[in-house]
Amino acid sequence: MPHLKVQMAGISMDSPLVLASGVLGVTASSMRRVVDHGAGAVTTKSCSIHPRKGHPGPCIIPYEHGMINAVGLSNPGVDAVVNEIRTYRDECQAPIFASVFAGSVEEFGKVTRRIAAGNPDLIEVNVSCPNVQSEFGAPFGASFEDTAAITRIVKKNAGKIPVAMKLTVHCPSIGKMAKVCEDNGADVITAINTVGPGMLIDVGVKRPILSNKMGGVSGAGIFPVALKAVWEIHRNCNLPILATGGVSNGNEAAQMILAGAHAVAIGSAVYNRGVEVFQRVNEELLEVLELHEMERLDDLRGGAHE
Amino acid sequence: MNEQMQTFPVVEVVEHNPTLKTFYFKVKTPVKPGQFVLMWLPGLDEKPFSVSDQKRGRLEITIKAIGPFTKKAMELEPGDRVGLRGPFGRGFEVQDNALIVGAGCGVAPVRFLHETAKRMEVNTTLLIGARNSAEVLFKDQYVDEGATIVTDDGSLGGKGLVPDRVREMLASGSYSTICASGPEVVLVALRNIAKEHNLPVQLSFERYMKCAIGICGQCCLDGSGIRVCVEGPVLTHEELEQVTELGLPHRDATGQRPEKPGICQA
Ligand SMILES: Cc1cc2nc3c(=O)[nH]c(=O)nc-3n(C[C@H](O)[C@H](O)[C@H](O)COP(=O)(O)OP(=O)(O)OC[C@H]3O[C@@H](n4cnc5c(N)ncnc54)[C@H](O)[C@@H]3O)c2cc1C
Ligand SMILES: Cc1cc2nc3c(=O)[nH]c(=O)nc-3n(C[C@H](O)[C@H](O)[C@H](O)COP(=O)(O)O)c2cc1C
Repeated sequence: MPHLKVQMAGISMDSPLVLASGVLGVTASSMRRVVDHGAGAVTTKSCSIHPRKGHPGPCIIPYEHGMINAVGLSNPGVDAVVNEIRTYRDECQAPIFASVFAGSVEEFGKVTRRIAAGNPDLIEVNVSCPNVQSEFGAPFGASFEDTAAITRIVKKNAGKIPVAMKLTVHCPSIGKMAKVCEDNGADVITAINTVGPGMLIDVGVKRPILSNKMGGVSGAGIFPVALKAVWEIHRNCNLPILATGGVSNGNEAAQMILAGAHAVAIGSAVYNRGVEVFQRVNEELLEVLELHEMERLDDLRGGAHE
Repeated sequence: MNEQMQTFPVVEVVEHNPTLKTFYFKVKTPVKPGQFVLMWLPGLDEKPFSVSDQKRGRLEITIKAIGPFTKKAMELEPGDRVGLRGPFGRGFEVQDNALIVGAGCGVAPVRFLHETAKRMEVNTTLLIGARNSAEVLFKDQYVDEGATIVTDDGSLGGKGLVPDRVREMLASGSYSTICASGPEVVLVALRNIAKEHNLPVQLSFERYMKCAIGICGQCCLDGSGIRVCVEGPVLTHEELEQVTELGLPHRDATGQRPEKPGICQA
């Protein structure tokens, strides 16, 4: 019988599908519900040391080819997230990944130490969010030096918990960036974050719609960009890849795996296909395995590279 | 109107009192009673509001001024453009012989339900509760129509609390279901009363919302994880079964659950 079980950095998952950070990841019960609908693991919304309210609305706007968001990294603070992780553990077996962000290298170290207390299965380091530039400057993920320094301090403070570096395409070379993360001790590469930032204007009032004016673009429209990034990372570094960006069906998830991904995170597609999207993509992935008469996703992985 | 952003001019404003107004828009997109929209005041914020009626191609939104956004909304005049997106969520099902209860500022969604039932010639009973006569929304109409009204201080209709009055009504009459909107303490009391009487419920809840499209996770209920913006805001006994946070202060914009409830919940 073909199955969807995968291993990534020593983490066992019943399905390669992961709930992407920032989508339905505020509360333990919400994440458990996503697992009930077929996700192999979940990621918490990115958290910082102190709570943040985020930007006023509108902060998430769907459009023809996906959506654009500037939620502004709202979160209840790392200690509250540790409590959510503990509640989740009581309710649910599937692995939980904790996403963190910070405004300086030192702070990345600090927030990592605090989240490690919740003992998540993986710490995902968001060095790539485009929404808070004015406050934090360009994303750290645009600079090799910053990303290297953050990788080192996070690895040091994470103890035995594996670390994923979440990268942006908006850097000189995402393949080289992934290699930098590998050389500095990272265990997994997550790619990509939202693209842009982009903008939408209301013609009636002649103003940008998002209160932040600009925001990260996600969903169907960014899939080819994300896929090519995953391809390039696979050619440049040996770490397992958690692929994300525009995936909404089994065919696209299979493309990510063929490009080299170990696991595939889904975010925006929850809007188009509901929470049930995880179950459906699982079924569609099984059909791909059957098509090739394969037993496991490991046999598919990287298959598109010569 | 749809889930993407579009702006519409206000076509009429009706002032009930200085802190309570109904705004009219030309919106034909069909909305069900209990569903809600996001209203955008450009340059300020975007917030959720129930639709308080829709007829003859006009959509009504009734807003109570309680904070920065809703106070700014009181300044809206005909011709001003605001963003409207939606409709969002699952509304009420119109049911024959329903007891429809609106308490406090929760009258808007049940008003739409009651008006819809009337237009469909479905027989329902309306109970309106408020702190005092001045706080009774759509007072003139409801007094004219002979709706049952209770106020905490007896300044209009009977004196007493909504749950007590519902108990009396259930003792003397028979109803198919309770449909209600209002403060959560009232909703929880009605849920318990309905259980004692083996009656189904459709109760409309509020939670802090950002996206309204089921993505951000801000309005998910502890225990069940269901999203108030998509699976709600109107919920039944079955859907409330696993919920563990009823009556607690709502999570705020950060996702934290504060010690004290916000204004809307008091
Ligand atoms: C599904 C739904 C339907 C609603 N229908 C109506 C209605 O028909 N008429 C009406 O007057 N009000 C309605 N509200 C409440 C309305 O959204 C709030 O009054 C408004 O957001 C307050 O904003 P503010 O800036 O004036 O006040 P603030 O001072 O910012 O907030 C006051 C209180 O309003 C609530 N609130 C604030 N922001 C939000 C938010 N983004 N989402 C949900 N609640 C929030 C909180 O309880 C808060 O404590 C509804 C809310 C929901 C969730
Ligand atoms: C509303 C929203 C909020 C997001 N918040 C975060 C976040 O807090 N941290 C993060 O690393 N990525 C965040 N992302 C990015 C997603 O995790 C994902 O990388 C991106 O959306 C691409 O995947 P998708 O097209 O499947 O959504 C967010 C995306 C959306 C749509």
